[in-house]
Amino acid sequence: MKKIRKVVAILASRLVLVGFLLVSAFPIYWMFNTSLASDAELFGTGQDFAPHLERVGEVPQKLEDVGILGLLANSAFIATGVTVLSFLLAVMAAYALSRFKFHGKGLSGFVLFSTQMMPEALLVVPLFALFATFGLLNSLTGLVLANTAFSMPVAVFIIKTAIDKIPYEIEESARVDGCSPAGQLGMIVVPLVLPSLAAAAVINFFDGWNEFLFANTFIRQQELWPASVGLAQFMGQYSTPLSTVMAAALLFTLPAIVFFLLVQRQIVSGLTAGAVKG
Amino acid sequence: MTVVTEEAKAKRPRNSSSRSWTRLLPYLFIGPAMLYIAVFVMIPLGRGVQLSFTDTKLINPQGGELVGVENYAELLTSERFWNSFVVTVSYTAAIVIFSLILGTLSAVLINRSFRGRALARALLTFPYATPNVAVALIFLWMYNQSSGIFNESLAVLGIGEVGWLGDPDYGLFSVVLATLWKVTPFVMLVVLAALQSVPDELYEASRVDGADVLSTFRAIVLPHLMPTIRVVALLMTIWSIRRFEIIYLLTGGGPVETTNVLVINIYQQAFQSQKLGMAAAIGVLGLLLSLIVTVVFFIVDRRASLAESQ
Repeated sequence: MKKIRKVVAILASRLVLVGFLLVSAFPIYWMFNTSLASDAELFGTGQDFAPHLERVGEVPQKLEDVGILGLLANSAFIATGVTVLSFLLAVMAAYALSRFKFHGKGLSGFVLFSTQMMPEALLVVPLFALFATFGLLNSLTGLVLANTAFSMPVAVFIIKTAIDKIPYEIEESARVDGCSPAGQLGMIVVPLVLPSLAAAAVINFFDGWNEFLFANTFIRQQELWPASVGLAQFMGQYSTPLSTVMAAALLFTLPAIVFFLLVQRQIVSGLTAGAVKG
Repeated sequence: MTVVTEEAKAKRPRNSSSRSWTRLLPYLFIGPAMLYIAVFVMIPLGRGVQLSFTDTKLINPQGGELVGVENYAELLTSERFWNSFVVTVSYTAAIVIFSLILGTLSAVLINRSFRGRALARALLTFPYATPNVAVALIFLWMYNQSSGIFNESLAVLGIGEVGWLGDPDYGLFSVVLATLWKVTPFVMLVVLAALQSVPDELYEASRVDGADVLSTFRAIVLPHLMPTIRVVALLMTIWSIRRFEIIYLLTGGGPVETTNVLVINIYQQAFQSQKLGMAAAIGVLGLLLSLIVTVVFFIVDRRASLAESQ
């Protein structure tokens, strides 16, 4: 009797897991499937469940028609800028939070955490005014600056957690040998926390890659649209075939998935530990 | 490890010139980041709070007049604002509750070793890596009333069309579903990391006692997970209160304002009604909501960790 119950329990848990897997994977599969369907199938005869792989050859031309490379290049520029800027600021801030005691340390941690509850929509208006003054509207640099403010604190938490875990003695002996604090950070700490730095960089890169709200309000010139804004616009105007929109969305999604899988372990430990300590 | 670090610190030489230098040092490291947040978040936030006490319009952003608490007074008596408030709270509650349950469940299911586990975990994390706009686009298509896969599948079963995004009875449900698809893997990853730190001896001990799976989970695993789950609950809450893209692109706040969360309401007030002052006031109230949640969280968390350590 007990044995039967156990077998049933195992079967049930396998079944639930398979269900979860199907639900996770299906929308991505459907994006792929839709990108290979014709308009007639999509809006008339019905979408086939198996993908029309014979049409893969048409996809590059479709993507070229919507200028996806230009859009992705803008996204890549924003993402790279956010990553580099966040990295420089976050490594130093994380080092300070991990290695020093100073007045205002708790406040600094809270200020960094508080950026995670700021509704960007509230800041859009004042930032719009600020950027208008400095000629940063309609510029990718402006988008880099705005997004870094929200991405950098996450990088601080991830990197600080990693620095907390390495023993201080190594820096101490370097210090005794006359190594400057900047040298200790650059030559000892940074090489020891490389995996977490990679994780922080990937997270920041995809914050920039994901950026939509600021671009949607600040950018007027179509040539400067990131892929997120471009895709949302294509969806709204019916002149772009749905299959093309989906192919572009898939191309926009794949790099994110690949990079994320490479560093998910570091991301998770950094995010949780960072948040636990505020 | 901490003890050794403290000792190492105590060994530092303490002459006066190095002391004043050391005192300044941490500020040199944290200064740039703080300055950055000040310029791009805190000062704009201050300006936002200031705007919320004016009647500033989008067409003349410099020309608003001070109106005191008029915007707030109008909001607190406005049905539209309270609707937004209720929608935000319902949306957030639904996301937090279901993402925690489903995320924990999938973490537990994937924690034991089996063939293809790495692949399964990768598949389960795909949604979290998918950009928001792509999530919105694919769900828009799947929810499509006449040709989407959901209604086509229902048709096969002989059930009529559902207006996933057009029917006020389904709008919020559909938005929650799409959001859950995107955010649940995050909960799973974090809970999975915590599960892997449960010492094997604990499992062994309960197995020897003859406890079944469920009671082992409740008595041993869950208490171990609680600190992690509380943090994830906080993150899920404050992220849900400010989530914009998915809702904006799926429904834009409709149908009949059933998905009009505070953040969408801010955007509409600012860029459609052109009332910047009013939009800022909603934003300030939304931020207050997040702040209250965070403070309550820290109080509850402190009490709970005290109780758990006893």
